[in-house]
Formats: sequence, C-alpha cells, structure tokens
Amino acid sequence: MPVFLFVAQWALLAGLGVLVVIMYRQLGRLLTERAEEGELGPAVGSRAAPLTYVRPGEHQERTLDPGDGQPALVAFADPTCPSCEQLVNVLGEMTDAGELNDLRSLVLISDPPSYLRISDVFSSTHVEVGRPVRRDGLDSYRVAGTPLLVAIDAGGVVRAVGSVTRPADVRAFAQSCLLPAPAEALATIPASRTSASHIPASRTPAAAARGDDET
Amino acid sequence: MATPMAYLALACKAALAVVLLAAGGAKLADLPGFAATVRLFLRASAPPLARRAVAFSIAAAEIAAGAASLSSPGAGWLNLAVLALCAGFLLVSALGYLRFPGRACQCFGALSGRSFSVAAIGRAALITTMAVLALTPVSASLISLGAAGRLGLLAGAGLIAWCAWTAAAAIGTGRDARQGLAS
Repeated sequence: MPVFLFVAQWALLAGLGVLVVIMYRQLGRLLTERAEEGELGPAVGSRAAPLTYVRPGEHQERTLDPGDGQPALVAFADPTCPSCEQLVNVLGEMTDAGELNDLRSLVLISDPPSYLRISDVFSSTHVEVGRPVRRDGLDSYRVAGTPLLVAIDAGGVVRAVGSVTRPADVRAFAQSCLLPAPAEALATIPASRTSASHIPASRTPAAAARGDDET
Repeated sequence: MATPMAYLALACKAALAVVLLAAGGAKLADLPGFAATVRLFLRASAPPLARRAVAFSIAAAEIAAGAASLSSPGAGWLNLAVLALCAGFLLVSALGYLRFPGRACQCFGALSGRSFSVAAIGRAALITTMAVLALTPVSASLISLGAAGRLGLLAGAGLIAWCAWTAAAAIGTGRDARQGLAS
C-alpha cells in the first residue's frame, strides 16, 4: 500500500473521530438542556394520553386509559438501567406491602422483553410490566430518558412527573395520584413542579447523573 | 525507503487536507454567519449577495483543495495552492486581530467559537508551517494511488465535509434555540 494512502486513511479516521466526539457533546448538551428546562415527561396539569402495551410473552394488547376513574402510576424504566432497577424495586416493595392497592401501577419498558431476564428485579417484580406497541400516545409522554415516573389521578390529569428512585419520593408520587383537586387549579401549576407541595420538584436524569439530591 | 521527513511531509499534507475539509463543511452549514465575518474585510458598500458569494467561494475552495490534495497527492501545484490558502488565513488572522480583536472568526463555522486572537494567529501559523512542510519532495512511489485508492479517499473527504456540515448545523441550531429562549 502506498504510504500516502495509509497516512491519509489515518488522518481521515482521526478527523471523523473528532467530529463524532463534537456531535456527541452537542447531543448531550441538547438533552441536558431539554431536561433542565423541564421538558422531560408530560406537563403537570395536562391530560395523560392512553397507552397501549403488551405484557412480555403475551400477544394481547392492553390499554392504560387515564381518566377511567382509577389513578395510575406509570414508570418508564428499562432492565439495562441501574436507576430503573431501583425504581422498580421500590414499586415492587410498595406493591407487596399493599401501598399501591388503590391505584394501578405499570412499568413500561423500551428494551426487548428478552432483556427482562438479565435483571432479577424486573423478572421477579409483582408490578405489571409491559412494552408499548404504538407510538401514538407514547410520544406525548416525552420520555427522553429513564427512569421516569408519571403520576396520573383518577380524572386522567398528570399530577407529578420526575426521575425519582427514592422510596419517599415514589410514595409521595403515589399519594399525589389520590389527592382530589380541581383541574382548573392544576392547570396553573408550573410544568416542572408537582401538584402536591410535599413532593420534591421533579428530578431529571441529568440532575440524577450529577448527583443532585433534594434533601 | 521513505525517510522520516517524507513521512512528516505526507502526514502534514493529509492532516491539512482533513482540516480544510472540516473547515469548509462547517462554514457551509452557517454561511450567513461566515458572511458576517467576511463583511469585516470587505468594503461596507459590498452588497449582501457579494458577501455571501465570497463566503461560499472560500468554503468551497477549502473543500475542493482538501479533496484534491487527498485524492491527487502527486500534483505538486496543489501543495502550492494549499500553501497560498493557508498563508491567506494567516494574513486574515493577523489583520483580524489588529482590527477586530475578540470578534468571532468563524474559522470552523459553528464548530468553534474562537475569535481573532494571538492564539488564532498561532494556529494559522501552525497550519501554514504544515503547508510548507508538505512541499517537501517525496518519492513518487510513496504517493502513487490507483483508481480505487483515489475514489476511496474522495469518499472519505466527502464524508468528513458532510460530518462537519452536520455537526456545525446541529450546534448552530442549538445556539439559535438558546438565543430564542433568551430573547
């Protein structure tokens, strides 16, 4: 091989490497900014969209229909994400303790169902696990990262949104689903807040990655 | 047998070509921004279309010089053309520092927020030095390329320019969004 061809190939490879790093930096910056602007998840006070999903190993489509009179706690989580395991573990413990009897709890994954096997937490949890089958509805949840917990009240209104994993936070989210509140009042709550004053402001994956913690 | 100097000359030539391709691609992604920098060096009466035409010509010349330098390493006159281009950048860097210090030079479009400064002159001097080193005569056997080699390098050149364009466009979009939010 001519020496110049060899040298030029390495120069091109180095140039491409630098450009890829620049693009990834920009992508990370954009995602972080989006999260910091409170654009993660649906806006608090908005009406939650229906979600269609299938359980692993099943073919029958099921629907979560917010506003059907039953509050819901929806967790977007993946078996390949350690923080998601924490969240699902907390949800599982609360389910086993009967703390979530008054509401419907659902874990939606984007990883292939076969990935459930790699996580003991996901494979053994008693919380309902499903995988969305259609994008309509799902897009309105704006899941830019996992874990993401969305609390929906009996009227189908989003009451709290955040990337939470601590038991106290998850418990507060569950309680927010059960609080009665007029929809008009909820609509005035800023998108980055939850509708109950004792619930910490929603935490984004970016904030979690930085180690920010509400104390 | 290739001497270390020959290796250095070829490395400088290839690296310079990649830099030119990236700079040209990034400038094309934000032509109005680069035209604003070009305006600093043109007469105030120059119409916007002329400024854009000059900006486009510079970016296109960089991509053409980079691609040709990579795919036709045997053409000696290309080394002189690249040296002239680099010397021009050095001159513009020096003039920009003297007349408009701190203004964005848009040397790599939105990829870099660097401005006219002593460091910018140093960088321009470095690439000019590389262009001078690339003039070093090397054995023809070291730079002989077949048709497949030329095509492959041309494809790589296109890929670099396109990636630079994409990255600069993405960064430019992010900046626009931030400015929009701030206003």
